[in-house]
Amino acid sequence: MTHTRTWTTIFSGLLLLAGFSFGQQTLNILTHWGEELHRGPMERMVATCEAEVGVSANVRTVPFGDLFTTIVTGRAAGIAPDIYHLYNLWLPEFTGEGGMLAAPPQEAIDHITAHVAPAVVEGISAGGQVWGYPTEVNTYLLIYNKRLLEEAGYDAPPSTWDELKEIAAAITQVDATGAVTQVGFGVLPGWDSGVVHPFASLLFSNAGEYLTEDMTATAFDSPEGIETLQLYADLLENGGMDMSVAGWELPNGIVGMVVMANWWRATLRASEAIDYDTEVGVAPVPVGPSGSQSMTLSYNWLWSVDASSASQDTAWEFLHCLNTEAEPGHGSPSGQFLVEALGAIPSFEYDQEAHAEALGDFFLQAFVDSTQFARPEPVVAGGQEVKTILQGEIESVLIGATDPATALRVAGVRGDDVLEEMQR
Amino acid sequence: MKMARVTPAYEGPPRRFGIRWTPRRQRTFWAYVFVSLPLLGLLLFFVGPIAFGLWVSLNDWNMVTPVTQMRWRGLDNYVYLLTRDPIFPRAMANTFAFAAGGVTVNVVLGLSLALLLNQSIRFKPLWRVLYFLPVMTAPLALAVLFGFLFNRNYGLVNDFLVSLGIARQPFLSHPDQALLVIIAIAIYQYVGYYIVIYLAGLQGIPKELYDAASVDGANAWQRLGYITLPLLKPVTLFVVVTNTIGALQVFDIVFATTGGGPANRTMTVVLYMYDTAFKFSRMGRASAMAFILFLIILIITLVQLRLLRDRTRG
Repeated sequence: MTHTRTWTTIFSGLLLLAGFSFGQQTLNILTHWGEELHRGPMERMVATCEAEVGVSANVRTVPFGDLFTTIVTGRAAGIAPDIYHLYNLWLPEFTGEGGMLAAPPQEAIDHITAHVAPAVVEGISAGGQVWGYPTEVNTYLLIYNKRLLEEAGYDAPPSTWDELKEIAAAITQVDATGAVTQVGFGVLPGWDSGVVHPFASLLFSNAGEYLTEDMTATAFDSPEGIETLQLYADLLENGGMDMSVAGWELPNGIVGMVVMANWWRATLRASEAIDYDTEVGVAPVPVGPSGSQSMTLSYNWLWSVDASSASQDTAWEFLHCLNTEAEPGHGSPSGQFLVEALGAIPSFEYDQEAHAEALGDFFLQAFVDSTQFARPEPVVAGGQEVKTILQGEIESVLIGATDPATALRVAGVRGDDVLEEMQR
Repeated sequence: MKMARVTPAYEGPPRRFGIRWTPRRQRTFWAYVFVSLPLLGLLLFFVGPIAFGLWVSLNDWNMVTPVTQMRWRGLDNYVYLLTRDPIFPRAMANTFAFAAGGVTVNVVLGLSLALLLNQSIRFKPLWRVLYFLPVMTAPLALAVLFGFLFNRNYGLVNDFLVSLGIARQPFLSHPDQALLVIIAIAIYQYVGYYIVIYLAGLQGIPKELYDAASVDGANAWQRLGYITLPLLKPVTLFVVVTNTIGALQVFDIVFATTGGGPANRTMTVVLYMYDTAFKFSRMGRASAMAFILFLIILIITLVQLRLLRDRTRG
């Protein structure tokens, strides 16, 4: 009798567990938004749509530097998640022949194209196909430390490269032992985007091009490109820049200026060395001698679904929930997360309107405004490799191993080889 | 009447599957059965991936498209790396420089410190632990630590140089100094391991040899040159070969300190392989690099074994 009761209890328990597991589908999500300050808003965003769609979401986070590797190795190992958060530069690799992404349903594409700026739609497309829901838009502007500029005798940021060089040199300080205690302008060596995105923003502001119009060859090996890289060489020569102090040190109060993206806002706000409200300034990228107006580069991220996922329909439903407004004027859960946790610019117009006050912050407002004239980073097969090649050559100039013209010629030849091979 | 007892004729060991199972055959059979299991594992998890890697090195594959859709490239990946790639020769040169510097210093320093620790000194176990501690430390943690130590503006090393009247050095951001710093980090981490190996070798040398040499009037240097070093040659062979193999595969320290920069001046073969595979999605080219590196390590190891073993025997 006792045995019968025990077995009945176990069997009922198993049935209950089975009921739970069969009753609720689980979606696996992979993203790089994994910092401590992202966790709470992320849980709230996901919980909203778990309840709405009736699924359980398992969010896995990895640092940005490991995201690409995690995606490709996970897929090769057959443990791909259902939903990815992707950097748009990777789209050509992920969507070519036998690609890994599922195309969104037509109604999702219609919704996206109706509520997102054409430049963003272009950014999340490859091969003429939209591949998911856009999330953050990032552009680059000149971020500066007002206090350091004022101490150097300047009350306004530079608007031209000549001014940039002059102010940077005035800010730099070296102590009696030869230690650089503060530097005027900082670059972000050792990281391809950190080197190439600011370079491209300065290049565009000097009327230069990154790739040719048909995106089949590089175009940075031009007089405008050489002038851009010469700016770095000049800054090194006049002391406005020093390779021992990277741009990352701006939140520590020892770098005067850096060309950087809006996603840095959370770090600047959290800084204890500088006061975000009174000391951080944002200005357009200074204009070069061959340019006539300030320009910048933009890039996008998007949510997309794995083509091998058994839960594709549910995944798209979940993403639709994340990216649409439950009530007009309230914005989407994803938009709420982007503004609250990252201080990023959401892609959907209703999110920008719903969070107009937060986006009206002096810092974000400048970046929101810059999306009107920003040029999307060219999304092309081999783009990542070209970027890394250019990074290496820019760093060659920064360490004094070569001159700007040679560096860009070498990068151009190698970059063209990559693009040509990818086209074949 | 007496019945004769009939004993059936012996037909030998039982036959099964057409085989006569003698005790010797049975033992052989079971030996093969037991050996086949690890062999199967070896084939599945070692030989299989190597063969697959070789196949991938002859193709173009980005890990995203199905394996069946790889594009055949023949020897193109090898030809590109050996004739056209500007980074691969630099990575190879950096790797050789790292290995040559690291192995030389590890042998000299490892042996010297082992000789000191083999003397009658106070707190001997403490010294041994202190030298071995870096071996137990994660390379990434060491890389971060050395990043601070060698910082141009606030690093202790530069503060020390300034106190000596020497100008501050950029170290990790300098094209010529960065690799030297990385070699120094690797030596700091691994010399303790080689000290332990040399200590074991030193303690295996019979004391009577030193006593006899002393009686014959040999001084300390002569004892070192005629007894210690010759008898440590097998240990030196082990240290040189294992250290060379490890050094040619260096990755973690470079990845964490410079990422191969500045401007690829500290790029090593394995780091370039990693970038090629997981940053540029060129698994074919990365696999080709792996096989080229394997061949180089094999040749160097064979040469080292030949040179050092012959001398040991001589």
